[in-house]
Amino acid sequence: MPDPIHQFEIHPIVPINIFGWDVSFTNSSLFMLLAVLLTAGFFIVSMRTRSLVPTRLQSLAEVTYEFVAGMLRESTGHAGMQYFPLVFTLFVFIFVCNMMGMIPGFFTVTSHIVVTAALAALVFLTVLVVGFAKNGVRFLKLFVPEGVPIVILPLVVLIEVISFLSRPVSHSVRLFANMLAGHITLKVFGGFVVMLLGAGTFAALAPLPLLMAVALTALEVLVAFLQAYVFTMLTCMYLNDALHPGH
Amino acid sequence: MPDAANGRGSGQRQMSPEEKAAFEGRISELGERLDRVKAQRGADAEAELDAEMRGRGMAYGMRMAAELVGAVIVGGLIGIGLDWWLGTKPWLFLLFFVLGFAAGVLNVVRAYERMQKEIMARTGGKIGHSVPDED
Repeated sequence: MPDPIHQFEIHPIVPINIFGWDVSFTNSSLFMLLAVLLTAGFFIVSMRTRSLVPTRLQSLAEVTYEFVAGMLRESTGHAGMQYFPLVFTLFVFIFVCNMMGMIPGFFTVTSHIVVTAALAALVFLTVLVVGFAKNGVRFLKLFVPEGVPIVILPLVVLIEVISFLSRPVSHSVRLFANMLAGHITLKVFGGFVVMLLGAGTFAALAPLPLLMAVALTALEVLVAFLQAYVFTMLTCMYLNDALHPGH
Repeated sequence: MPDAANGRGSGQRQMSPEEKAAFEGRISELGERLDRVKAQRGADAEAELDAEMRGRGMAYGMRMAAELVGAVIVGGLIGIGLDWWLGTKPWLFLLFFVLGFAAGVLNVVRAYERMQKEIMARTGGKIGHSVPDED
């Protein structure tokens, strides 16, 4: 049976070593770079005409813009539009990485927790910096819900702080776990097809896992989009907390 | 005038009873086929929404699990860190583990509230198969 974990292996393409730190250009870096180049290329080509009546490519780019802008405006109001570049970049990067992972033989960048954790940490630190910069000490009101009796307030504040600190964990784990689990399942069902084909008369059963793999592929495409959407949606919500703490 | 009426009348009258029966049969058959196609189309759309909601349901499930587990892990880690720092092993770990669980439940409740709003906005309050109201 083919190893379902093998697809997540990272191997250096160009070994680089700086002061004892291994910063090699790996297959993961290659696909991140590919995602960025693909995205940049797409937006440069599609927006080149900038016509009033958009071409097909241009309307695709505009739909993407409207989608993310609508999401951000809905959850943070107009004040949040300042952070649109960050949110848009996050959405497109995750979406393109997820989708590239659906191509057989390609590496899925977002199936590694180190990548999703870095993205989540970026959002978390942005929320902290923006929150304190915009509201000062009032940002701490986020941890003090209104109408709580003074007796249990310390307990509630502790719980709120832990809840706040757990955000980057669930934020990153969700994306990574979904992509990892989905790709392993696909690989396992693909492996079943190969194993059944090599099992004499049982080869007649081979179409069953193949059908399942086809259905799972469709589901995975949906998940790839949904997870990018969920990650962006949560980013918007956390930004909203930073901009308007206290509710 | 009588001539024209006669002409049309005879045209209709010329349709013998058998022909008329056949014609009506064709019409009702066509109606049935149309109904079938319409029903099929409705079922397709419903199945599509159903599949989409199922995909979303899975995503939501993962989200809930991550919300709960994440807070427990963070709480536990804080406890272990404080124990290690203050030398109070294992009491602060136990305390923060429980607090982490409380925070996890809080996360889930909040995520659920948001989810509810989102689903209501998307489906217009109709989730799954509609059940008639009692009143």
